[in-house]
Amino acid sequence: MDGVFAALEGLPFVEAIRFSRWGYAAVNAAHILGLALVVGSTVPLNLRLLGIAWKSVDRADVVRVLSATAASGLALAVCAGLILFATRATEYGGSDVLWVKLALVACGTTSAVIAHVRYGWTLTYAPRGACTVHAVISLTCWVGALICGRLIAFTLP
Amino acid sequence: MKNRLVAFAFVLLVTGLGTGAALAHHGWAWTTGGNIELIGIITSVKLGNPHGVLKVDAEGDVWTVEVGQPWRNEDAGLEPGDLAEGVEIRVIGQPSVNIEDRLMKAERLYIGGVEYNLYPNRD
Repeated sequence: MDGVFAALEGLPFVEAIRFSRWGYAAVNAAHILGLALVVGSTVPLNLRLLGIAWKSVDRADVVRVLSATAASGLALAVCAGLILFATRATEYGGSDVLWVKLALVACGTTSAVIAHVRYGWTLTYAPRGACTVHAVISLTCWVGALICGRLIAFTLP
Repeated sequence: MKNRLVAFAFVLLVTGLGTGAALAHHGWAWTTGGNIELIGIITSVKLGNPHGVLKVDAEGDVWTVEVGQPWRNEDAGLEPGDLAEGVEIRVIGQPSVNIEDRLMKAERLYIGGVEYNLYPNRD
């Protein structure tokens, strides 16, 4: 694994980002934009699925808009995140909090994919109980991933 | 019930972020607020974003020294190769509140009598 991490760090493109002022800042900003879209869309989406807020808005409409937003945000955050990881792969690879975050991201993504495959793109066929389960998993995973992600910067030298 | 749930979630989130701030390695919140001086030999160098990291052997005590990201080091006047293994360095900076970490964030570096000030606006 250490060999893979070292190879990642040595890629010419990654080297360039590691020593670039604005390039690194841009990738960083893209990652934050991505996770802002993910958390910013999943929180209201899940509150609607739980029946806590916006009950007067049709559930399918909420799901259609916010699922698409979350999926695009996730794609952006993953792409930018891979580059950020590669600049310091050895250190980040040794960070427990990063692996917890990746587990949360994997869990949140899997839960969302299962929900959409089972109950349709707008979750039209989802029973109340299933909505609650998926919403709780989603809230936990995405807010948890955000907190773990932030903690990486605060736990590594 | 609804309001209570939302309030609970908000408190959880804020507590989580607060814990993060207390552990902060970015910024200066995790340091003592006072400077120390470290003199030793650089034993390893890893430069680049988000910031460079040196290992400095001070008479057998190995410290981890955070230096700047590339632009900050360059602004301070450091040339590529100045921070290299085997170089004797004097570091003024703030140590981690937990002294057992042997971790400090450099404000100023001295190599061969030349000052490199990473944070000209701090004292």
